Amino acid sequence: MNVETRHYAFLGLFVCVGLVMVIGLRPGVPVTADTQRMFAYIDSLPGGSTLMVSFDHEASSLPEIQPLALALLRHAFSKGHKLVGVAFLAEGTVIGYRLMQKAAAEYGRKYGQDYVYLGFRPQHVAAILTMAESVREAFPQDYLGHDYNEIECLRTVDSLGDVAAVISIADGSTTTYWMEYGQSPERLLVLAVVTAAMVTTYDPYLASGQMHAMVGGLRGAAEYERLINRSGGGERGMLAQSAAHFYVIAMIVVGNVVYFKARRKRAAS
Amino acid sequence: MGRTFAVGICFVFGVLMFVQYFSPHPAARTVHRTVSEYWQIIFAFGLLIGVVAVLRSNLRQLRWGSDRPYRLVTLCGLAAMPILALVWGRGIDSPFMWMFENVQAPMQSTVFALLAFFVVSASVRGFRARSVPAAILLVSALLILLSRSALGSAVLPQLSDTAEWIRNTPSMSARRAILIGIGLGSLTTSLRVILGIEQTWLGRRS
Repeated sequence: MNVETRHYAFLGLFVCVGLVMVIGLRPGVPVTADTQRMFAYIDSLPGGSTLMVSFDHEASSLPEIQPLALALLRHAFSKGHKLVGVAFLAEGTVIGYRLMQKAAAEYGRKYGQDYVYLGFRPQHVAAILTMAESVREAFPQDYLGHDYNEIECLRTVDSLGDVAAVISIADGSTTTYWMEYGQSPERLLVLAVVTAAMVTTYDPYLASGQMHAMVGGLRGAAEYERLINRSGGGERGMLAQSAAHFYVIAMIVVGNVVYFKARRKRAAS
Repeated sequence: MGRTFAVGICFVFGVLMFVQYFSPHPAARTVHRTVSEYWQIIFAFGLLIGVVAVLRSNLRQLRWGSDRPYRLVTLCGLAAMPILALVWGRGIDSPFMWMFENVQAPMQSTVFALLAFFVVSASVRGFRARSVPAAILLVSALLILLSRSALGSAVLPQLSDTAEWIRNTPSMSARRAILIGIGLGSLTTSLRVILGIEQTWLGRRS
């Protein structure tokens, strides 16, 4: 096998991240205004408020999405809010169910009474429009096959107008559909929990007020975990991410030093 | 004749969907929902065509002997998931879900994680301050990277403010410009398709 420079660079990244994880540093993360805003909103809702959680992501982004989603679900369950889960991407369906189940079990919340998972519905635009009129029509049964009318925590939910807000947990553009189609008839409050790569995409919506609050990436997860006073995957992931960031910065600096040296050498000869 | 018919259908549905978007009438919503449901059915058929294409292509390559082990894995995966779903269903504790949670999800996350290695490779070889704009981009990227790491913002609290300014001012301006550009581009392309000026979606004329 031909060993090239990039292979050494790969090895360096592996060693760097591995070492930091083994040492197990716990760096403190200052909380940004965006994360504080999300926390403050969920915290300020009266206990028993209904929130809809939409799992709009695929399995590939799970390492980033999971700590974010868990931190938020834990906060919502700890405040006694009722959660209604849905999924607009098939891959996120079972992941969403497992995450809700896990967070609910930690706080002793009961399925059907404190939370429910409605599952996957294809064609998100049509689904959101239908839910704006009747959630029952879009999801006649929940994920486990129970009839909508038999589920206790859905008795007060007829349409999207009956939920306090929608939390879209996304790794793509699905949150945009919640704003475009959910907000016009119902003035729905949209909150976003997104991967770091999607943060800049949603920044204009946050600045214009179309989106109420947003938490993004492992950094957001670590900040939220700090706010709810509970360590989790965000803090651990942040450690690996920070190590990788520093390594990338070092590589950029090394690459530029080599480039400028070579350029000076070429100019001199 | 066939092309004219297709362009006609495209025109009718294009105008219908455009008009219904601006109408608050419940009938407009019903139209949108019905059309979306038909779109879903068409999408399912499209998916089926995709599956057949993957199957045919891999079977052909398997016969010719190129990348045989990989082709076999693809075909086994393609056959296994529908069989598991058809025989044991797609319930939460079914073998189908077990495969998804324990095979597909970790594999997809692994492939996604490989991106970090490509970023490292690109940062060593390609991220150079060759010109003033490239240098500005480089410095901005370094500041954002540092601010997103735990140690960077803890050591230098002003770093977060600088990174926020980059995110909220130049980056957001560029993002808004891109969004408006995409919007205008989509609008003109849609109009060209609806009015039948743009016909490349129908394929070549025979």
